[in-house]
Amino acid sequence: MKEYSQIRKIAMIALLLASASLVAQTATGTINATLVNKSAISLIFDSDPGGVTLGGNGSSTASVNLGTISAFGPLAPGVTRPSVTASNYTVRTLFDVQVIQGGVASPNYTLSAQLAAVAPTGFTYAVDAVTLTTAVQTIQANGAYNTDVRHALNLTVSTAAPGAGGPAVGTPLTTTINFTATSN
Amino acid sequence: MQVGKKVLIVMVGSSNFVAHAWKALLLACCLVYPIVGQGQAASATAQLTITMSVQSSISLIFQNNPAVGTTGFCPLTNPGTNNVGLDLGTAAFPSGSDSFPCVAYAHIGSATYQVSSGFDVMVTKANSSSPNYRLAAEISVAPPANVVWLVNNVTLSNTGFTQLDASDAYGTRVTKTLQVQVKNTVPAQLLQETITFLATAN
Repeated sequence: MKEYSQIRKIAMIALLLASASLVAQTATGTINATLVNKSAISLIFDSDPGGVTLGGNGSSTASVNLGTISAFGPLAPGVTRPSVTASNYTVRTLFDVQVIQGGVASPNYTLSAQLAAVAPTGFTYAVDAVTLTTAVQTIQANGAYNTDVRHALNLTVSTAAPGAGGPAVGTPLTTTINFTATSN
Repeated sequence: MQVGKKVLIVMVGSSNFVAHAWKALLLACCLVYPIVGQGQAASATAQLTITMSVQSSISLIFQNNPAVGTTGFCPLTNPGTNNVGLDLGTAAFPSGSDSFPCVAYAHIGSATYQVSSGFDVMVTKANSSSPNYRLAAEISVAPPANVVWLVNNVTLSNTGFTQLDASDAYGTRVTKTLQVQVKNTVPAQLLQETITFLATAN
């Protein structure tokens, strides 16, 4: 009986050791991750409720189709004619600029613009009250980030006849304006 | 080659001092980089392309004649636009006059009277090579019997435009006189017309 008791004890110990070996193995590891949060701003054009619906709305390469314009005739929706004089008339539409910032410790931005090429004969372009040329012109010195900022695109057209200082008539004319936003 | 040799000597000859110097340099770069990075203004560019087509156009407006207020030149309501009013008052054959002193009143023959008032028409052009324009007018409804509406002695019709001028100059006032001739047999009533003027570029 004493021998059986010892054998039983040995068996119990063996079972305990065996069960201990069944506990799940563990392992640990670490990932050393890095991220460079680069500072940047982006500029997009948004349609203004009072203006022409932009092509490429919400992008940085948008387009404005003013349709057919004239001194006295009807205009497309979103296009107004704030002035008509003997020598010229102005058509206007509104558009929004939104500058989005990330990682920039800047309170606001400066918006500038320039014509990509000399304006067609008989045309003068202005954004707000700033007449555009092929040189960079400051449009706004303290634009607010992350919100639509309304701007007026004013196109002044000479009333002169084609060939006499006036624009070509009946032909689609295209002009590109380059905008730059710079963080202050 | 000479420069390369010098660098090699420095590297090979580096000791703990050189190693510490490199560490210090790297640390300085790490510290300065964010500051320099923040000092640079971020910028973004975008393009807006504008397209349109210009069309020739002309406009017509009515204006008070410079002699407005004198006999023969009554004031227009809403002058300077293309939609004006002209009140010729009240007239009667027996009285030989009109209630408005600005209206010119006259008897034509033995049984008809005429009231008239002058005003100016101005036509302007834009982006057009047209040298001049022609002017026509039309009344809106057929007048009662023995009532005639005229402009500068040209009888108007409600069946089509009647030409008044063949070549008027742009940007120049053209004085026109509206006349109403009423025979003494016409019953008392309100005489009213909307007269449409049409300028067409030549």
